[in-house]
Amino acid sequence: MEGRLNNMWRLTVNESKFVESALQSELRVDGRGLYDYRKLTIKFGKESGSSEVQLGQTHVMAFVTAQLVQPYKDRPNEGSFSIFTEFSPMADPSFEPGHPGESAVELGRIIDRALRESRAVDTESLCVLAGKLVWSVRIDLHILDNGGNLVDAANIAALAALLTFRRPDCTVGGENSQEVIIHPPEEREPLPLIIHHLPIAFTFGFFNKGSILVMDPTYVEEAVMCGRMTVTVNANGDICAIQKPGEEGVNQSVILHCLRLASSRAAATTKIIREAVEAYNRERSSQKVKRHHTLAKSEVSGPIVVV
Amino acid sequence: MEIDREDGRTPNQLRPLACSRNILHRPHGSASWSQGDTKVLAAVYGPKAGTKKNENAEKACFEVIWKPKTGQIGKVEKEYEMIMKRTIQSICVLTVNPNTTTSVIIQVVHDDGSLLPCAINAACAALVDAGIPMKHLAVAICCCLADNGYLVLDPNKLEEKKMTAFAYLVFPNTTLSVLPEGSSVGEGEPVEHGIITSVTHGVMSVDDYFLCVENGRAATASLSAFFRKNFQQSSSKVG
Repeated sequence: MEGRLNNMWRLTVNESKFVESALQSELRVDGRGLYDYRKLTIKFGKESGSSEVQLGQTHVMAFVTAQLVQPYKDRPNEGSFSIFTEFSPMADPSFEPGHPGESAVELGRIIDRALRESRAVDTESLCVLAGKLVWSVRIDLHILDNGGNLVDAANIAALAALLTFRRPDCTVGGENSQEVIIHPPEEREPLPLIIHHLPIAFTFGFFNKGSILVMDPTYVEEAVMCGRMTVTVNANGDICAIQKPGEEGVNQSVILHCLRLASSRAAATTKIIREAVEAYNRERSSQKVKRHHTLAKSEVSGPIVVV
Repeated sequence: MEIDREDGRTPNQLRPLACSRNILHRPHGSASWSQGDTKVLAAVYGPKAGTKKNENAEKACFEVIWKPKTGQIGKVEKEYEMIMKRTIQSICVLTVNPNTTTSVIIQVVHDDGSLLPCAINAACAALVDAGIPMKHLAVAICCCLADNGYLVLDPNKLEEKKMTAFAYLVFPNTTLSVLPEGSSVGEGEPVEHGIITSVTHGVMSVDDYFLCVENGRAATASLSAFFRKNFQQSSSKVG
C-alpha cells in the first residue's frame, strides 16, 4: 500500500509557480485562451452503445448495455438506468484498482444527476410489462487516460453511447399477454433509446482566490487550482446540475459569469455530438444486417420501424 | 475435407491484425492490439519502487490488472490476470531492476473470440513501448478443435462456442538470427523454442493437442513477422 503512494505523481513547486504566474498574464501553459477547450474527437466502437471520446490528452470510453429486470415497487411503469464509473489504474498511477474512490463516485453522481433529474433519458418507454419487466440500462464509463477534466469527457462519452445504443425489440404475447418475446437483432431492428435533450457538463477551475477563471483544465492545472465548479447545461438554456464541492469561496458574479459561459457553449458542443452520431448512423445503415422473416413468426403484426 | 468457416478464412488463416503503440499519454507504455473485431488496450507503468509482501524482493515483480468491458471482476478475470502475470514473468529479465513492481493494465474494448491471446500480444507490445527489458516476445495464438476433428486457428466468438475444445498457446517469437553456440538443446530442439504457456478448455486427445501445438507454432512465424514489421516502422519514424 505504501509502495503505491510513493509512486504518486507530485507537482513540483517550480511547475505550480509557473502555471500560476502564467495565468496572472492570462496565458495557459499549452497556449490556449482561458476559455478555450481542447480538441474533441468522438469515435464509436463495433457494437451499438460503445463510444470513445478524446478531449486533448484525456481519453474516456463508455459502454451501454441493457437487460430486463423487475421494476422498483414505487415506479412500476418506468425503466431505470445506472452509471458505473471505473477509474482504471491505466489512467493515472495514483488510481487504485478495485472499489471506486471518492472522485470516481463524484464523477458518476454528477453525470447521473444531470441525466436523471432533468429527465434526459425517457424511462417510461423502457417499460415492457407494467409491474413485472422493464429495461434497465447500464452505462459503464472507463477512464483510460487522465489528462485533466474527466467530468466533461466522460459526460460526452456517456451521451454519445446513449445516442447510439440500440436495445432489442420485444413483444408481449402468449396467454394473458404475460409472455415477453425478445427479438434478436437478426430478426427485428433494435430500437434506439428516447433521449429528450443532451445535458453537457462544463468544468471551470478557479485560481488566485477565485479571481482567475479557466475552462477545461489539464491535469497540471487541476493540481494547482484552488477550487472548481461543474455546470451542466443543455442547448435549450436549462441548467441541469451545478456542482461546486467546497474549496475556495467564489464571488457571486463569477458564478453567474460561469453560467453564462457554459450556456453560450452548449449549443456548439451539442452540434458536435449530434453530427458525430449522425455520421456513425449513416455508416451503420449502409452496412445493415440483412433481415429475413422466419415462417414461425409471420403472424406477428406491426410494421418494422427503421430508424 | 476442408472445413468451411463463416468468414471465408482457411483453417490456418488468422484474422487481420492491427497494432498501435504509444496511444495513451500518462502510462509509460501503451499499445492497442486487434485481431479482427477483438480489440484489447494495454498500458504499462513501471518500474515502481517496492514489491508486494509475498513477492521475492531480489527480483523485479509484475502485477497484472484485467478490466473487463462491463460488469464486476470475477474469477475468470482473476485467472486471466494470473496467467498473464506468469507469462510476463517468464519473458522479462527479472534481474535488471530488483525490488521493483511493474504494472500491466489490460482493458477489454471488444471481445470477439480469442481474447486472452490478444491481451498477451497487446501486453507484449506495451512492454516494448515502455522499454521494459525482455528476453524475447511472447506470441499468443488460439487453436481450437471442431467436432469433426479439424483444427481451426484464431476463432471468432461464434466459432469458439461451437468448438469441442480449444487451447491458448504462447510461444517465444521466432528468431531471425543464429542461436548462440552452446545454447541448451533438449531432444534436438532448442529449449528457447518451447511453449511458454498453454491453457486448454474442453477435452482433446493427446495427438490433437500436439497437432494444435504444431499448427500454432507455424502461425507464430507470421505473428512474429507482424510484430517485427510494426516495431521497425515506428522506430524508423522516431529516428
